[in-house]
Amino acid sequence: MNLQVEFEWILHEEVQAVLKQLHTILIECAWRFPVPLCGNDISPKHEKYVMSVSAHTTPEQVKCVVALTGDSITHADISLKVQKQPNVIYRTSIQAENPWKLQQVQDAGNHLQQAILHIENVDKDYVFRSSEEVLHMLGKVLGCLQRGRSSLIVPRKKTIDDLMNSRNMKSLVPNLPENLAVSFYIQSHKLIFAVYHVGSAHGTMKFDTFQAECSLPWLSEVLVLFTVGLQMCQQLKDKDKVAELLV
Amino acid sequence: MAASTNLVIPVVLWGKTAPTHCISSIYLTRDQKNLVTGCYDGQICLWQVDPDTLKMTPRCLLVGHTAPVLCLCRASILADNNYIVSSSESGEMCTWDLVDGKCREATKQPYVHTNMQAYHMAGTDDVRLFCNGYYAEVLIMDPFSLELLFTLSSRVNPDWISALHVLRPAKRKDDVVLALTTTGTIKVWTLSSALGAIGSLQDGLTPGKGGSGATSPTHSPSSALQSPSSEPCYENESKQIRCLNALTMTCCSCNQRTVLIVCSKYWQIFDAGDFSVLCSVHAPQAERWMGGDFLSADRVLIWSDEGKGYLYQLPANCIADHKDFHAKATDADNPFLYCILAVPSEKPLSCPPAMQFFHGTPRQGKSQKYLLRGDSDGNVIYWIVPDVTDGQLAQIRQEEFVKPPGLAPNYNTSLTKAWSEMKPPPVGILDQLDTPECPGVKLTASIFLPQQGRLVCGREDGSIVIVPAVQSIMLQLLHGRHQQYDDWPPHQLLLGHSGRVNCLLYPHNIHPHYEPSQLVSGGVDFAVCLWDLNTGSLLHRFCVHAGEVTQLLVPPSDCSPRIQKCICSVGSDHSVALLGLTERKCVVLASRHLFPVVTIKWRPLDDFMVVGCSDGSVYVWQMETGHLDRVLHGITAEEVLCACDDTIAGVSGVGGGSGGLGGGGEMGLANPAIHLLRGLRHRNLSAIRHATIRGLHQLQQLHHDGEHGESAEMAFLRKNHASPLMVQGLRTNPRDPEAHVLFFDIEALAVQLLSEEYSTMSPGTLEAQGLINQSVYMKVVALTQSASPDAHKKIADFFGRVKDKAGDMERILKEKDRHGLLAKMKEGAENVQTKLQAKAEIVGLKGTGPDGSPRKG
Repeated sequence: MNLQVEFEWILHEEVQAVLKQLHTILIECAWRFPVPLCGNDISPKHEKYVMSVSAHTTPEQVKCVVALTGDSITHADISLKVQKQPNVIYRTSIQAENPWKLQQVQDAGNHLQQAILHIENVDKDYVFRSSEEVLHMLGKVLGCLQRGRSSLIVPRKKTIDDLMNSRNMKSLVPNLPENLAVSFYIQSHKLIFAVYHVGSAHGTMKFDTFQAECSLPWLSEVLVLFTVGLQMCQQLKDKDKVAELLV
Repeated sequence: MAASTNLVIPVVLWGKTAPTHCISSIYLTRDQKNLVTGCYDGQICLWQVDPDTLKMTPRCLLVGHTAPVLCLCRASILADNNYIVSSSESGEMCTWDLVDGKCREATKQPYVHTNMQAYHMAGTDDVRLFCNGYYAEVLIMDPFSLELLFTLSSRVNPDWISALHVLRPAKRKDDVVLALTTTGTIKVWTLSSALGAIGSLQDGLTPGKGGSGATSPTHSPSSALQSPSSEPCYENESKQIRCLNALTMTCCSCNQRTVLIVCSKYWQIFDAGDFSVLCSVHAPQAERWMGGDFLSADRVLIWSDEGKGYLYQLPANCIADHKDFHAKATDADNPFLYCILAVPSEKPLSCPPAMQFFHGTPRQGKSQKYLLRGDSDGNVIYWIVPDVTDGQLAQIRQEEFVKPPGLAPNYNTSLTKAWSEMKPPPVGILDQLDTPECPGVKLTASIFLPQQGRLVCGREDGSIVIVPAVQSIMLQLLHGRHQQYDDWPPHQLLLGHSGRVNCLLYPHNIHPHYEPSQLVSGGVDFAVCLWDLNTGSLLHRFCVHAGEVTQLLVPPSDCSPRIQKCICSVGSDHSVALLGLTERKCVVLASRHLFPVVTIKWRPLDDFMVVGCSDGSVYVWQMETGHLDRVLHGITAEEVLCACDDTIAGVSGVGGGSGGLGGGGEMGLANPAIHLLRGLRHRNLSAIRHATIRGLHQLQQLHHDGEHGESAEMAFLRKNHASPLMVQGLRTNPRDPEAHVLFFDIEALAVQLLSEEYSTMSPGTLEAQGLINQSVYMKVVALTQSASPDAHKKIADFFGRVKDKAGDMERILKEKDRHGLLAKMKEGAENVQTKLQAKAEIVGLKGTGPDGSPRKG
């Protein structure tokens, strides 16, 4: 009997309360994004970073200064040195009229926005009638948050050919030689700049990788809020499942 | 593939309860003969439809996707083409044959589609799929190869495309793609016929294939998707409008002048010429729009998430050939709601239903329009959209009414209904235990012990029933004297759980170093019970989890001696335990996981148990000490999980022969039967296919490398696999009771019958039958020992000689076949139509049919 009361309390009170809290957190998360999202009519922020080299890369090999506007790299000065040709320095740049777009940011933002829309679709005075209904809605929100978070922390793998032919590579001025490919991507709270030098050894293709990185403060905050949101959602789901089981 | 000589016939015993089918997408084929419904659990149900009466009967359940089926569409322009394409939320796409339910092509991509439109482009021989989803491009794919042909990219404000419509403007030869981004930018691509040529040429032009294989972690899909040879295809026009997060966009087919855009809060009509709003209607209180379509130039049908259809007449300024078209809207000019399609007094739904508008092909000079709906309870309903003439409409306008007239659905069916209409009802594997006073207790878990031929079933009331499998199946499927016996076959009952038994494990099945008498069960009562099968007694009850026990596993055999005697249990409190079966105590309790456990992998040589959670995090536990070694996220987490597979393959692959199929590395994987079952449980199509192939492969290998180091284990595998009957529990939703799939392996059956036959013959009989001479003897030896490619042909010859027994068996098989294969071949046969079947894909049924003729497809 008491369990039945508790179950009803979860359906009628707790779910709405948690959803409200979750909504606040997700809106907070959306506001951290440097791009317009969920009606946060901010003008895209402009920030400049000097990237530092990662492990296994010496400071001479990669030098890179980037300027970010919203989800795009609007300016970058890049100079590269390849081990086999120690005297040659390759220089290239990204110009504002041809920015390098970080698709991961837009993807994460859109997934987040979908999660928020799913929550907003539940009217404030709506009373849930069954635990399936709650689980269904939470499942959708969880899915969005999960996809949004992983688009930032797990960058997609691509072949070197795809990289070479990418639209972003074409925004480099001047072009790099054919055996060099570069890529900007986000991994957790960091912006990574990776350089792939393709060579052939004994007839098989191999490549060396150099990396530089810088951490983006807003990304750490976004990831924390994503994680908190996910956990909150999962806890509510677990609670709902247990309550249903015991009734 | 030479290895597929094994003919395995699957027969499903569904039981009295219909599977849960929470419909996420719905599609009616254009010839009105097949209805396809995809569900949130990933299955697809095919319904046979009578094209004239539109009566629907569920026909088969396609198992393959691991996530909700988001969209379905046709694969060809031909109205009677029997293929469809499905796409799921985890990026899987499948092309299915609607006749025999086989999956013709399957692929998994990082791009998840939310919508697919099959469209026949100028200059192509068949349709292309125009897809949009969680990415910023429009992808054009081939429906049969599921290869990406080309990509449409955006130059201005690239963002996800939320709605898409492809059309060919009147008097023009090229096609136009109209797309709307989530942020409300309308984009127009004009496709040149050169693009149509891509894909028609096939080979060489398809991107993404034949790369160097080198991988590098980068993102931005746009780059990955372009055909390497060509410049990206950018939009020709782009315009910002105010529609955010649109759901559908449709251009009126009558005049191509007006466009309907549906967002969840409102729907609007736009002038296609300049994309200005002509009218706008808000969603009713507590409802959200989901989609809509034009019925005619001046009528629209819009449906909402409550599962209702709303019919509107458009005002004069929205009708293209009207003199007032595009005039400024006045207050009197609102769209007129003249009818509501609703289900009277309906049970509340747990999620928005899937709805689809269908314009029927003309029959007897009349073409009807339908609104189809599939809901969370597996109900399929449709309304015939009423044809209201302008005169009638004027009359309705005269009448004063508070609420517009409602219309109840014209037809209503569901899996549950189909089940209840079956006479006799679909059989379950333990139906003999039902009595009229006490209707069947739901079966919630089951495991088959091939060596003992016994089936163990856990039930909802906490009891575990053990029955001889063959007799129990005979009772359900075959008519005969045995049905008169009282309380036959004898069954054993294990009582110890209070509440549902969630999972069962017979460790000896997986590795022989476990006691053959021990059975393990996990229940909703948080307990794991250890049973002695011989005495039926409860040996021990482990109470270590703080939530129901959901899964039981066996750690690999090369773990430390202490861990080797353990089994692994997973609880719904996200904990994992290693339970020592001999020491009767919990060795490790790994319980710090914040999210549900989805995978457990092992690094036996490093003494690590690697637990993967649903949020992508990975926890590495030391097994001997129970210490949490580290917690990983993101890319490193993925890499560590993958590395576990590598080491296993690398270590045990040494010495394994490299056969024609997969090479030695695969020999290290666990019993292929287990993988098959796991695949089935996780609904992973390729895993099932793979496991089937691997199983066959191993079987062949075993005979060749008899002296192989792991021969004890291998012989064990062989014994398991060559069992003529396998029983596998089938559950598509965790709340459902279990159905059962019986796998009859015809070759193993023949082999077993032959060996039995010959072992009982005296030398005299053998001589009389001419079997004693060397060549025949060799043949028999070859048959009983090897699964060589022509074995089944040889078996066919032998059938003649061992007629008595084999003939008997053939009859039994035919009896079973009535429920299985024949159903697929004679679709029209009335009595079998209603039988749902687990499809051939489950067992990789390929090669030859029972009569030796090649199967189509």
